[in-house]
Amino acid sequence: MVLRSMRNATIAIFWIVGPMVLPSAAQQPAAGNSAVQVIGLTGVKQKTKGTLALEGGDLQFKYSKTKADVPLKTIEDVVTDLDSERVFRGTVGTLTMFAPYGSGRFLSLFRTKIDTLTIKYRDEGGALHGAIFTMSLGKAEPFKKEMLAGGARTTIPIQDHPASTDAKPDAAKEKKP
Amino acid sequence: MKRTICAVLLFCGLLALGAELMELRGQTPPPATKKVSAIQVIMIHSDEIKLPAEFQVALYEDLIQQLQKQGGFQHVYRDGDRDAASATDLVVLHSTVRGFKKGSEMKRNVTTVAGKTSIDVHCQFMDKDGKTLLEHDLNGKVAFFGANLRATYDFAKKAAKLAHDNFAAPKAS
Repeated sequence: MVLRSMRNATIAIFWIVGPMVLPSAAQQPAAGNSAVQVIGLTGVKQKTKGTLALEGGDLQFKYSKTKADVPLKTIEDVVTDLDSERVFRGTVGTLTMFAPYGSGRFLSLFRTKIDTLTIKYRDEGGALHGAIFTMSLGKAEPFKKEMLAGGARTTIPIQDHPASTDAKPDAAKEKKP
Repeated sequence: MKRTICAVLLFCGLLALGAELMELRGQTPPPATKKVSAIQVIMIHSDEIKLPAEFQVALYEDLIQQLQKQGGFQHVYRDGDRDAASATDLVVLHSTVRGFKKGSEMKRNVTTVAGKTSIDVHCQFMDKDGKTLLEHDLNGKVAFFGANLRATYDFAKKAAKLAHDNFAAPKAS
């Protein structure tokens, strides 16, 4: 009897929490680079969701029927990095912090890895701007490559064969007796 | 009896004196700064400390946003802005990162006490000729709520207040 009720409770929890956890991967549209503008683009609010694309030599951030353009030639630096974020974000995320019996803390263990894309660019007046975007994992590096091909510059060049950096050179390998 | 009253009065007097001294110590002498109409923010430097690019950009952008939000300056110029050259009364803010500790949002959420993100920044306000007007060390941190980048917002708020208190022209009534 007890086992049955525990099983039912577990199923209920997964039924409630499951759809909130899984969409992090499912929400990403198949086409385009969905991104979140964290800070920096002129006229765009912080943490705005949208799509990043390269069009006509511009980096274009499209969001709710409007767009912000940054000419690739004006971009002085493109840097990618790894980060992670809570699955339960925003108002729901804050509310979960006050959930009873430490369940809020437990829920904060659910995290998704993300890529960050940071750019520095200058406007027509020579003023330096910066912008930070977050994208789903593994999308920032190929996008950076496209940006560099389009005329953007970087201080950290892309490694063509990242796997080769992990492989130790033969000379460095320890010789077995 | 008299002796007790005297002792109590003396004790009270000493307490009041101590409180007065504490208050005086808490007050910083008013800095000899000038009021200006424009401020220029130079990109944050981090020569000694390895600072991730997103933190550098977030510090810079947050700082500009907070300076604009605080008001008091007619113009907030960015690094390299050509219009800044024509500004007559301008103060230039140079910021150098002196310390950085990247915490963990997950640790903060789970343990409450661990995982703090902290950034120490040395702020230097200069005039157009490069003469230092004010130097101050500020700290930005996120101790519980929010992502690591929120530390930059905390710093920016403090820096904007410092700039506002020392250099912003009072509002004309």
